[in-house]
Amino acid sequence: MSAYILPILFILLFIYCIYKRLNTYDNFVKGAKGAIKLVVDIFPFIASIMIAVALLRVSGITSWLTQILSPIFNALGVPSELTELVLLRPFTGSGSYALLEDVLVTYGADSYISRCACVIMGCSETIFYVATVYFSQTKVKKLLYAIPVALICSIVGTILACLLCRIM
Amino acid sequence: MNIFWLIMMLASMLVLLIVNPSAMLSEMIGASTEALELCIELCAVYVVWLGFIELIDASGLSNKLAKLLRPLIKKIFKVDNEETEKLIALNISANMLGVGNAATPMGIRAMQALDDKSEKANFAMIMLVVINATSIQLLPTTVIGLRASAGSANPADIILPTLIVTVTTTIMGILLVHGIEKLRKKIKGRKKQ
Repeated sequence: MSAYILPILFILLFIYCIYKRLNTYDNFVKGAKGAIKLVVDIFPFIASIMIAVALLRVSGITSWLTQILSPIFNALGVPSELTELVLLRPFTGSGSYALLEDVLVTYGADSYISRCACVIMGCSETIFYVATVYFSQTKVKKLLYAIPVALICSIVGTILACLLCRIM
Repeated sequence: MNIFWLIMMLASMLVLLIVNPSAMLSEMIGASTEALELCIELCAVYVVWLGFIELIDASGLSNKLAKLLRPLIKKIFKVDNEETEKLIALNISANMLGVGNAATPMGIRAMQALDDKSEKANFAMIMLVVINATSIQLLPTTVIGLRASAGSANPADIILPTLIVTVTTTIMGILLVHGIEKLRKKIKGRKKQ
């Protein structure tokens, strides 16, 4: 079902453009031109955050933090098997999706742990990545309370996700 | 962001110095190679999305969408600028459809439009980050896809809990940002007296 949504929207968009007598090719190319410049502008920011995350993992700090935080997570109702996923989610999209695939294979797609992992992934974002990339093209140096509030919401979401998976 | 990055880098480098000093440089270059590969992939994705977004914009659909969402955006973001409202509307709509990759370019443009060159993030900017962080999405398409390919009997049964959580955290985020902003104004007011 969900596979149809975007294709249908694309086709409706084209029909609407024809109705508006819009030059689809010219405008599509005009928009697409912006892609390379955008990527060139954000590359250094993406690289810097990925370097920091890679060092955190290879130094063993993440697995050490995972061990320390597991009991706390457990007390909050979050399965300790998901600590690393929850920990890495704010930093890396590709990394946390790889962890989610591991969880799905290890515990089975319909297990409680896997369902929790799926809901957690579906309702959270790579906060640090989003903040870096979004602010990268502005003059802003101080993000004030943006990241703390985002993280608090994310933690509450994680706890709520595990709670809901138990009853739904 | 500066302080987060500094702590992450320094802590890992200090530990690596003791455990595995030879891995440090190669890991950094490896990660930046990964970032480059990701960016090449993103470039391809952005060509498609920015192309479509230009069509949405040129056909006047984005204005209609912005008009529809305007009362809500005005209330949440406290902005009064049509171009900015349009960018925020597109960013949120893309997030709702679960296409984060289309949301990113719009989010960046919205931030540029909101920038007041003051080096400090303003209220609307923080709101945009928080709303993006709670990922208000109606259909978690990627997750459902992964779950289906892992052999789930009913891959879509996570839609409802996901929706409940994302709506709850989004509302909570909006209220928190509004609350903090009020508190900050009060404190500022007191300092002036």
